[in-house]
Amino acid sequence: MRGAVSRAILLRTALAVLALGTAGVLYGFPLYWLFVTSLKSKAELFASSVHLVPHNPTLAAYSSVLIERGFWVLLKNSVIVCFSTVVVTLVLGLLITYPITRLPVPPRLRVNILIWALSLRFLPPIAVVIPYFAIVRTLQIYDQPIALIGIYSLFNLPFAIWMLKGFLEEIPLELEDAALVDGANRWIAFWRVLLPLAAPGVMAAGIIVFTFAWSEFLFALILTATPNSQTFPVGVQGLVTQFEIIWNDMAASGVIAMTLPLVLMVIGRRYIVAGLTFGVIREK
Amino acid sequence: MKAARAGRRRLSRDERLAYMLLLPALGAVFVIVTIPFVLVIIQSISAEDGTLVGFRNYSRALANPLLYDAIRATGVYSLIVLPTEILLGLTFALLVHRTVRPQGLRAAIYVLAILPLVVPPVAIGVVGRLVYAPSYGVLNVILERIGFVHHEVNWLGDPTLAMLAVASVDIWQWTPFVYLVLFSGLQTVPRESVEAAQIDGADWWAQFRYIDLFYLRPLFLLIVFFRLADVLRVFDHVFILTGGGPGTTTQLLSLYMYRVEFKYFDSGQAAALAVLVLVSFSILYRLISRALPLERT
Repeated sequence: MRGAVSRAILLRTALAVLALGTAGVLYGFPLYWLFVTSLKSKAELFASSVHLVPHNPTLAAYSSVLIERGFWVLLKNSVIVCFSTVVVTLVLGLLITYPITRLPVPPRLRVNILIWALSLRFLPPIAVVIPYFAIVRTLQIYDQPIALIGIYSLFNLPFAIWMLKGFLEEIPLELEDAALVDGANRWIAFWRVLLPLAAPGVMAAGIIVFTFAWSEFLFALILTATPNSQTFPVGVQGLVTQFEIIWNDMAASGVIAMTLPLVLMVIGRRYIVAGLTFGVIREK
Repeated sequence: MKAARAGRRRLSRDERLAYMLLLPALGAVFVIVTIPFVLVIIQSISAEDGTLVGFRNYSRALANPLLYDAIRATGVYSLIVLPTEILLGLTFALLVHRTVRPQGLRAAIYVLAILPLVVPPVAIGVVGRLVYAPSYGVLNVILERIGFVHHEVNWLGDPTLAMLAVASVDIWQWTPFVYLVLFSGLQTVPRESVEAAQIDGADWWAQFRYIDLFYLRPLFLLIVFFRLADVLRVFDHVFILTGGGPGTTTQLLSLYMYRVEFKYFDSGQAAALAVLVLVSFSILYRLISRALPLERT
């Protein structure tokens, strides 16, 4: 009896290890391969046999992408666009969520705003970008960062609203009331009391919006044309669809594209799932 | 008594402030959202030169067989990707929940599962190329080395394989999302009911069927909502990996619309498609969002 139970447990553990191990390899290997390819030299690319481990790793592909191809400009554009998007989205998000969580507004208005924000999440970007493209050309902001900042802010606003609402709700109203009784006005109570308390949440929302904007490709592909405003993903795509693909450069560009989000993820890891599910799933 | 004279009651200072903050912000967003809608409707009933042509663009859009190819491709893609991701995600959530006990290991799995979620789809497309590409893809190299195949498999050139390749990239990236949602759902299952069931002799299937599933059910809806919203808009990694080919087999709806507008420069038809998609998506949204377990108060 005892033996049967422990054998069952052993079997189950073995199965679990096997399944998790397989998943680990399936997840790890493609990323490993991307990294290894990015470290290859041009000579090794055309070697007749493919090595699964790098021989003579080199950073040549990275300097080729960033400097010789001038992609550092695209990286700079990406940072500018994403950072501006974060600022616009957070300001708009706070302007909307502060009243609906801290001030007396009719419950129906509050619910309608939240549902409307959620519905924006279902909006298919391709259907929006077709008319947006026409507007951008009319306003003569085609191929300018501002065109991207505008549409990114709009598409990230739903996340921001739901996340900020969640964070603001958790802060007791009494804290602000105490400041108000002490003679502070609403602005000071917001700036000195509420915002410092909400700062981690606002930061988290900012990180998530930054990551999403960083990954965005469709709008950037359509609304930009030159290194004047092209973001990094557009550059990556340019390397992929070339007639002759330079594999190590392409891989290096992929590694560069995913580095910043991964670093940010380490900081904001507790909030990623909350952001993706509009705050329904909260990590402790 | 004063409250009874509501209607004409003056707004309190706080209420005034609320509207002063909300109106400009919401107004700006509303205008920014609405202008494109109005514009796309006008565009959809106009010819290139701006003359109104009624519903001609719509009938052209609907008569185009490529539209139905795109809808079919999107349908096939969703039907491969959604069930696979949900089943795999559920399996792993249960597996880790039941067998992995050390908190440190759970935390490590959590971080690893988040990893793919923040990788830009473009970069994932690049990874897909490195894996599947003809003559350089590492998958063929590995399969040949272990003697599984003896001549090169053209993963991106065969209609069925290309669809599977494109879907596999989606599954790779988004199964962890399903896992994370369901795993955190499993943490809310009260230990007492599990223990009670175990005392009653419930095996793991009964535990899952009668206890876990009860707590997970609302989360499945949530997953379907968010995944559907994303699956129906998929563009990036498919564009990088196959560009819609071979032929039009992986030309999903958004790739098709992109092509109509920016490759065929048929803005009338593209606008008509955009309106049709917006209308059908808002109907779909209404159907799904009612059932969502979001807190709405």
